Amino acid sequence: MRLFTTVSVAVLASLSLAGFATAQTSGTINAKALVRQPITITNGQDLDFGIVIQGTAKSISETAAAAGRFDATGTANANVNVNFTLPANLISGANNLPIGTWTGCFNQAAAVNTVGCTTIASMAATTPTAFGNVAGAGRLWVFVGATVTPGVAQAVGTYTNTVTLTLTYF
Amino acid sequence: MRRPLILALIALAIESPPCSAQLVVQGVRDLDFGPVIQGIAATVTTADPLRSGQFYFKTPALGTRIRIQFTLPTQLNGPSGATMPITFGATDAMAKGTAPASIPASFNPAVAATFTMTTSVDANVWLGGRVTPAANQRVGAYSNTVIMTVTIF
Repeated sequence: MRLFTTVSVAVLASLSLAGFATAQTSGTINAKALVRQPITITNGQDLDFGIVIQGTAKSISETAAAAGRFDATGTANANVNVNFTLPANLISGANNLPIGTWTGCFNQAAAVNTVGCTTIASMAATTPTAFGNVAGAGRLWVFVGATVTPGVAQAVGTYTNTVTLTLTYF
Repeated sequence: MRRPLILALIALAIESPPCSAQLVVQGVRDLDFGPVIQGIAATVTTADPLRSGQFYFKTPALGTRIRIQFTLPTQLNGPSGATMPITFGATDAMAKGTAPASIPASFNPAVAATFTMTTSVDANVWLGGRVTPAANQRVGAYSNTVIMTVTIF
């Protein structure tokens, strides 16, 4: 009889513990970020076709002296995407001068487009690259060229438009 | 007399496996702010399909009542001992069962939240947040740990 009483208490205790048992499990992730310097882009040089003749197309290569140049600074060695906003025409008042066949290259070491300038495969697509490390500073020089196609009756005048470079860290 | 009681104890033990064996919690994806610029705060929302943090948990059965509790950092740790503040807002956590009928529920990850599993036994939890780099924040990679604890009660 005494044994029965002892065992009964043990069973009740087990049931009680089971009824209030809690399960607890944890999972872990990381919170992370890459701190970068602000990007600055300045106009290093306009893309300048100079004098063009009615009815004669004129091209400026991205490796030519007259190529346009953007000078950019950021965090050394940081990855950036290169994107352009390119006009379809140069404008003079109400007159348009078609511009196209855009070309480009970038240099991570110096403001030079004749040596070490990596060709941009597609000016319409996003091009991934990285800032160079020039004496500890993040630098990138981007060059652009294009072709203008004046009509035979193209109105004479000075034509301009804006080419925009966007650099985005990734 | 003793044998049936002993058998009863053994049967009880077999029929009541530890609950912890039936509860699964996994980290799925880091809360990744990506590149952030010195002096410019950056926010990731729970709806961000790439940058929000994500956990997954599975409970033993429908009707299970659970409590979700986060252990949140107040700063991310960077190079050479640099730190960067990280904060979490009132809607920076969202839980949603995996069943199509499950309804997402936003909650404050800084406060323990209680749910009953009514449409599915498992769910995902997404986490957003905000980092505030100083103007002279040291450049580099920062990180810290986020823990999500699920308790059945």
